[in-house]
Amino acid sequence: MNSMTRGKWLAALCLVPFTLFFIVFEIAPLVWVMINSLQSEEFGWGIANFTKIFSSKFYLQAIQYSLEISFWSSVFGIIIAVLGAYSLRRVDSKLRNFVNAFANMTSNFAGVPLAFAFIILLGFNGSFTIMLKQAGLIQDFNLYSKTGLIMLYTYFQIPLGVLLLYPAFDALREDWRESAALLGANGWQFWRHIGLPVLTPALLGTFVILLANALGAYATVYALTTGNFNVLPIRIAAMVSGDISLDPNLASALAVVLVALMTLVTVVHQLLLKRSYHVSR
Amino acid sequence: MSRAELGPVGIYHRVVVYLLFAILLLPLLGTFIYSISSSWSATILPSGFSIKWYAQLWSDPRFLGAFGQSLLVCVGALILSVVLILPLLFVVHYHFPKLDALMNILILLPFAVPPVVSSVGLLQLYGSGPFAMVGTPWILIGCYFTVALPFMYRAITNNLQAINLRDLMDAAQLLGASTFQAAILVVLPNLRKGLMVALLLSFSFLFGEFVFANILVGTRYETLQVYLNNMRNSSGHFTSALVISYFFFVLVLTWAANILNKDKSE
Amino acid sequence: MSYVSVQHLQKNYAGTTVFSDINCEIQKGEFVTLLGPSGCGKSTLLRCIAGLTPVDGGKILLDGVDIVPLSPQKRGIGMVFQSYALFPNMTVEQNVAFGLRMQKVNADDSQKRVADVLKLVELHDFAARYPHQLSGGQCQRVALARSLVTRPRLLLLDEPLSALDARIRKHLREQIRQIQRELGLTTIFVTHDQEEALTMSDRIFLMNQGKIVQSGDAETLYTAPVDVFAAGFIGNYNLLDAESATKLLQRPINHRIAIRPEAIELSLDGELDAQVRSHSLLGNVIRYRIEARGVELVVDVLNRSAGDLHPDGQRLALSIDPTALCEVA
Repeated sequence: MNSMTRGKWLAALCLVPFTLFFIVFEIAPLVWVMINSLQSEEFGWGIANFTKIFSSKFYLQAIQYSLEISFWSSVFGIIIAVLGAYSLRRVDSKLRNFVNAFANMTSNFAGVPLAFAFIILLGFNGSFTIMLKQAGLIQDFNLYSKTGLIMLYTYFQIPLGVLLLYPAFDALREDWRESAALLGANGWQFWRHIGLPVLTPALLGTFVILLANALGAYATVYALTTGNFNVLPIRIAAMVSGDISLDPNLASALAVVLVALMTLVTVVHQLLLKRSYHVSR
Repeated sequence: MSRAELGPVGIYHRVVVYLLFAILLLPLLGTFIYSISSSWSATILPSGFSIKWYAQLWSDPRFLGAFGQSLLVCVGALILSVVLILPLLFVVHYHFPKLDALMNILILLPFAVPPVVSSVGLLQLYGSGPFAMVGTPWILIGCYFTVALPFMYRAITNNLQAINLRDLMDAAQLLGASTFQAAILVVLPNLRKGLMVALLLSFSFLFGEFVFANILVGTRYETLQVYLNNMRNSSGHFTSALVISYFFFVLVLTWAANILNKDKSE
Repeated sequence: MSYVSVQHLQKNYAGTTVFSDINCEIQKGEFVTLLGPSGCGKSTLLRCIAGLTPVDGGKILLDGVDIVPLSPQKRGIGMVFQSYALFPNMTVEQNVAFGLRMQKVNADDSQKRVADVLKLVELHDFAARYPHQLSGGQCQRVALARSLVTRPRLLLLDEPLSALDARIRKHLREQIRQIQRELGLTTIFVTHDQEEALTMSDRIFLMNQGKIVQSGDAETLYTAPVDVFAAGFIGNYNLLDAESATKLLQRPINHRIAIRPEAIELSLDGELDAQVRSHSLLGNVIRYRIEARGVELVVDVLNRSAGDLHPDGQRLALSIDPTALCEVA
């Protein structure tokens, strides 16, 4: 009995270094951010920072742009990912493994490299821009606008979406399809009544992850617009490491707003899940 | 389950997959062509091909320095991760299985909290004073440890569950090994493959990390991504060669991880 | 004319031939079983009839019309799967009503028909439950109800009871057979369990390696197997080659013989040239391993009283009813 408890104490000791590092690098900064969001230089303790944020057109615009870009890129991304993942499952294994591996690798391409690649292709002098202009398909394409960003974000959402959705199709059993066919349902009817409802929890879950991914993204938009586009992550970073107007407390408040948005999205997702049926595991 | 389909349905699926592949390939392809062309401006196709950009890149001391520093930080972070996480995992799964649920929530934090947010706190806490780390590679190593944590934890947990840790340990101990011996001689060798795959994948992810590198350290300890960003004003061809080199390096790593993964399942 | 007629059916898969020339006729209202070991092609044949697997040649006539060119939606065939295949996002009632919905039956009629069929399978109290709230046997009954409510011309059952435990299996067997008789529904049942086949069917098609080896009613198949495979698959036959048969029966025999274990009588009167090697108690039957005149035999004796239990080593007399000797190929 004694050697066992001694063993357990030694084991618990092994947990200490990890806990230390985790607190120092993950927990402590978070706690600092939360506490200091409620502190401001002029007003001391209170929600002054938040009032400032929500009464400022500038910050509200940052929130709006963040939400818009995240929402649309996630919508387009998930549609492409669903179609892609579904078809991926139904082609032969050689093609499937290759494209799967490729999607895996391109998910590493996000961030600065991706921004540069898009500038090359779709910037003002990009070859795609020129091609499309010559074909008369677009007048004036500005990559550095909201639309351009949505396109860029959609691009890096796709591999993530495919990765997450691919195993979700495991839930769709082949004999449901056959059963539905014998009962008279064609392809569309199967998807409408059985396929999509069964996939809905996975679709919602993936959408939420994509949303969160886009809301917190910093590298891509920073690299594309040299930190000049008004979205939340840029605003937050600008206030702690920029050349002008350093205000870590306000930055903390903005950070809290960002995390709150992500939490809100997750909560809505959980509520929606509860409303739909439960599949036994 | 997924037999290749023939007929019009099969063709549709193949077309979709090829389209998907094309969409993902295009930016890469464009960048690659840009990196091997001698000049290409305001025309659809480049005017000539050359590898001079690569030559220029790989002889640039600043690039090599950034590459080396990225390597150092990533490897350092991974060594730290292994040293901290392996004992943790063993202890949790063998002695305190109830902690696994808590751990699964904890490792969500690096995912749920964007690096930008953490950076605010990190800058203030460790920017000056007794724990000043900002601007040094040490803070990067620590932060990268938290970034790699979810990947490593999940991968090795799955591995541990697959090899049925308890049974192995019990069998080893009945044969006379102490807990420590059993852990080192029996469990660790069985984790090797899973650990390698986790390390390779974490490495490629860390190598592409920009947020912490830029905000916390910036040019004071220039990693490859920060260097890439700082080079934005030089020739597009040069940056393309840079991007392709980086991507090729990551490609090799993920390819190796893939091979190991397949190997494992045999 | 037969209701279902399979003619020269051919199916290849991945370079091998699953079956090359299958023919069988099924009458209206018959309960027919496809029986055979795993891999014999019985499930594939069933799936071909349902239209879930394409055929490579031949015809399948249902009520005189070749259904091979028709999609599964249009064949008017109901099917119960081994894995139930209940739609998890729908209640029992919605699952059963699904086929009627596809047929665009109006809501009132649909409700009534669903209620009736749920009563038939004794599940009308469970109408609002979801599949994950049901037991295996209940799921299978819902699957049955779902395929019956659309009034199919033909009912197919693909090893529907294999995933259930023994007691439920027995109960469902009777229920399925009873419902089938009430409705007069032509039914094809696939199983690898010979007891199921023997108790439920009007006729059995015994299959092996893509061929129908023997067809007939339960009695015929059991007492008169045509070849070694049939004798080995159904029942517990003693298979003797010509030489052993000659030794045992003490008269010249020039072909293989199959003898059912229960057709051999043991007694203590007469020439005691057989000896008990070992025995095992199977409940209501005692199974003896006997050596008689140099030949090893399995003998089953009904466990009526203590007098039927012979110890190992006991010498006994054998008698075999000559009509129970079966010549097999």
